[in-house]
Amino acid sequence: MLRAGCRKFLGLVPQQNNQAPVLVRLYHERVVDHYNNPRNVGSFDKNDPTVGTGLVGAPACGDVMKLQIKVDEETGKITDACFKTFGCGSAIASSSVATEWIKGKQMEEVVTIKNTEIAKHLSLPPVKLHCSMLAEDAIKAAVKDYEAKRAKTEANAAAEPTERVANA
Amino acid sequence: MLSSMRKCLSFRRFLVLESYSSSSLHRHQCFSPLYILPSPFIHEASRAPDLSATVASAHRVFCSRSSIIDDAQGPAAIDYRSILEEDEFHCVADATINDLQEKLEEYGDSIQIDGFDIDYANQVLTLKLGNSGTYVLNKQTPNRQIWLSSPVSGPSRFDWDRSGQSWIYRRTKANLIQLLEIELEQLCGKPISLS
Repeated sequence: MLRAGCRKFLGLVPQQNNQAPVLVRLYHERVVDHYNNPRNVGSFDKNDPTVGTGLVGAPACGDVMKLQIKVDEETGKITDACFKTFGCGSAIASSSVATEWIKGKQMEEVVTIKNTEIAKHLSLPPVKLHCSMLAEDAIKAAVKDYEAKRAKTEANAAAEPTERVANA
Repeated sequence: MLSSMRKCLSFRRFLVLESYSSSSLHRHQCFSPLYILPSPFIHEASRAPDLSATVASAHRVFCSRSSIIDDAQGPAAIDYRSILEEDEFHCVADATINDLQEKLEEYGDSIQIDGFDIDYANQVLTLKLGNSGTYVLNKQTPNRQIWLSSPVSGPSRFDWDRSGQSWIYRRTKANLIQLLEIELEQLCGKPISLS
């Protein structure tokens, strides 16, 4: 029923009678696809040292995205990604696309992903361009978080020997 | 049918979240799905113990806590309420948008562009330039920002700079008025003064 209703709403059902042609589709097919079949929904353990978490947006604005990446420490490659998004269909689709695009890529490469590319891929209307920007921000935030975590663990590892000396 | 459709869509939205509310995020006490989803599915959300958190705290901005924030590159964690009071924000933002609307209407009268249209409805200013694209300008009150969607430069978010008395996009240091002047001249061929 939901699908039938959605199709009717989106004007995908051919008109049964002789009325004027069906109304313009409101969401692009790709957005609907990501909305109905979102890829990579889920979450990783935040405390895992190989996981970077990017959390962007504000509930008051109506959009919150959490995007997580699992990074191979040695190669710096993103082996897995997942997201959870609260917001409109375009926001969900943007973050879903983002997780698809970043899988298997290097961290340096994914920070070059531009919101314009996401928006073009999903044919987002002008009012929804901000959703694609949020997805770009989420990617960058996840990478930053991972790097900060790594820097912290490295700093801790470096500090340990000196602590032991002090205690000896 | 439409209202049940909206409910279905809200439910779908919630499904994507799954147990979002019970994740480690809830310790921020900012996120309250109860506030956002006025639906019969509220009982699902009550899995998390903490959802009686006040709505007012939902205004805080989320940001990845442990990152070394580079303002120019990424989102910044700022409590916008401390920067600009809401009344002042509305006053300044409304003045800016009304002013822009008037000037753009005059501009529209003086140039010949097919499909030129300006509409200000529900606090959203929409400027259609036919084949050149559409601009959307609106207030984003929780962030104390003006959001712009441009066919040339994409989305930008402008903050009020008291010292310069202007709207500035932090990441690129762009000035809203100047950006619009430059882009409109580029798209329509005729210069415009919006200040």
